Amino acid sequence: MKAELMAAYLSGSITPPQMQQLNAMLLADAEARREFAELLNVDSALAALAADWTSTPKAAQPKPARWLTSSPRWITAAAACIAMLLGAWYWQHAHTIYATVSKAAGVQELTDGAALRGETHDIRAGSVSLITARGARIVIEAPAEFRFESAQRLHMKRGRLAADVPPTAKGFTVITPSGDAVDLGTRFGVDVPTSGAAEVHVFQGEVIAKASGAHDKQSLRGGDAVTFAAGASTARELRSAAFIQPDEMPGLTAGLAAGQRAQAEGALAALRKDPALIALLDFESAEELPGVYRKVQGRWPGSHAPEFVNVGDHLKLDVGGGRDWPQLTLAAWVRIDRLGAPYQSLLHTDGWSQNNPGQVHWIINRDTTMRLALIGNVLAPGSVERQGHPDSRTPVLPEQGRWVHLAAVYDSAQKTARFYLNGQFDSETRLQTAPPARLGPAQIGNWNQQDRKLSGRVDELLLLGRAMSDAEIHALHAAGNPYR
Amino acid sequence: MPPTDHERHRRFLRSFTAHEPAIRAHVRRLVPARADADDIMQEISVVLWEKFDSLAEGADFKPWAFGVARYEVLAWLRDRGRDRLVLDEEVVSKIAEETTALEPVLERQREALEHCMQKVPADQRGLLMQAYQPESSIQEVAQNSGRSVPGFYQWLHRMRQKLLECIRRVLAEEAAS
Repeated sequence: MKAELMAAYLSGSITPPQMQQLNAMLLADAEARREFAELLNVDSALAALAADWTSTPKAAQPKPARWLTSSPRWITAAAACIAMLLGAWYWQHAHTIYATVSKAAGVQELTDGAALRGETHDIRAGSVSLITARGARIVIEAPAEFRFESAQRLHMKRGRLAADVPPTAKGFTVITPSGDAVDLGTRFGVDVPTSGAAEVHVFQGEVIAKASGAHDKQSLRGGDAVTFAAGASTARELRSAAFIQPDEMPGLTAGLAAGQRAQAEGALAALRKDPALIALLDFESAEELPGVYRKVQGRWPGSHAPEFVNVGDHLKLDVGGGRDWPQLTLAAWVRIDRLGAPYQSLLHTDGWSQNNPGQVHWIINRDTTMRLALIGNVLAPGSVERQGHPDSRTPVLPEQGRWVHLAAVYDSAQKTARFYLNGQFDSETRLQTAPPARLGPAQIGNWNQQDRKLSGRVDELLLLGRAMSDAEIHALHAAGNPYR
Repeated sequence: MPPTDHERHRRFLRSFTAHEPAIRAHVRRLVPARADADDIMQEISVVLWEKFDSLAEGADFKPWAFGVARYEVLAWLRDRGRDRLVLDEEVVSKIAEETTALEPVLERQREALEHCMQKVPADQRGLLMQAYQPESSIQEVAQNSGRSVPGFYQWLHRMRQKLLECIRRVLAEEAAS
């Protein structure tokens, strides 16, 4: 009876006697009023959802504003008319546009300010930041293929996404081939590699993750991460540096606009002519470097860099062997997670033996200071280091996993190890015994025993058989800096 | 527009666009059809802008807008509701008052709909969305679904009830956890 009356009212087929009954019932019965209000509330929400809906991914045509055709009050309220016309246009559009491109950095396929509806986008290089109609800020890094189903639902076939979700966009969902992530507000990332399982990483707040085919959903909180594999989600370590965050984009974009990439190329060209050069890896040559790693985007849109994800991932390098290096400069751009093993390997010679002094282990310590250990080194009396190796004074990883430039300069004649962070001199360690450096077979991102896992990306790795000056390191950082 | 007006206008648009769905839902609860709510919304948006000065700076936009909306709905009922089967004024006033107090819950319910829609099989979801398109013809959608028009209306209502049950469950689980 109650349901029948409400159904008739909602379908517009209610008869006058039924309407009388409905009015009488609603007047008398608070419970019925609530039921009625909740049903109509659902009706309203369905209409709002339908306005955002497209049956097939295609560009929706903006509907003409209905209001242009009615409302005689227009003529009397000219100012309001203009204001409201803008307003009307805005919501007519807000209903059909799911997201807007705020910045396309190095992306050929999209332009700043482009309106995204239900179409599929395939970006080969670069990073793009978007803002959804509900105010979620998103960065997607190439190579990526994605489409919006609505302002609140994004399908990611591949690519890497970081999202910052305000309360207005609570419930924003990313759908991947192997599982979904529903955000309950704040910051998370989704990585859908070209091959391999998708991952969800939560930087802050809460996300509900559900692997395709799984019955159970998982609630993830800040610091949690999972891999979707074979219909289940498995916990894994957080990879904060894997994602370009929305607040990182302006700096990257400005760097590109300022022509930083050309500057970096110029600096590298000069280094390649340096007679003391041992190795310079910018990862741009077609030559496959041996090892186990993912090939991802480097500091510049469309550039390349190795990424180390799992324990044992590494890059093999065999340079500068069979001779002594009285002076050695090591430098690299890295983007590394704060969390990790007690030691993260920047470069480890395979050998580490008292019989072969001078073998080099370049490391990030647990407290995120940098270490340059050469076997056979003895610290000068009065050194502050507790573990017998030269360490940088300050931690070298910023709070967020951004690109940082690390450098260490070893000089066996001066008996010093000097550390640099982002082109700035950090500290110098004096040595009592300082054999010349020895290189040869080495690994980046790992060491033999698979216990020095580095988690993140490395770009522009330099090994130079002379000691660079403070000014040179400063210039090296300035030339290669992706940010402005 | 002089800058002060311009600034005022920006403030208004910010508030209005933020709360427009809630105001629309509020109006929808009081009138027979969605199209009626759309018509009244146009009127309401003009009135809100005209009266925006009377809203104290920093005061909450939503309850104020709900008040304006209720007044406009009553005016519409007197004006155009006479030849339509509509709710009594007294009932409208009661529902308006009660749902203004209930709005935080109703808002959560609207948010939860999206989640519950995911549990609806894709073909049925498509039918629902077609039926709710602003310019949709129920006759056509009913025909596509292989139902008679009255049969399709019944199905629609069952879906709304199912969705509401799901929404209540989701909110109850939220409250429990």
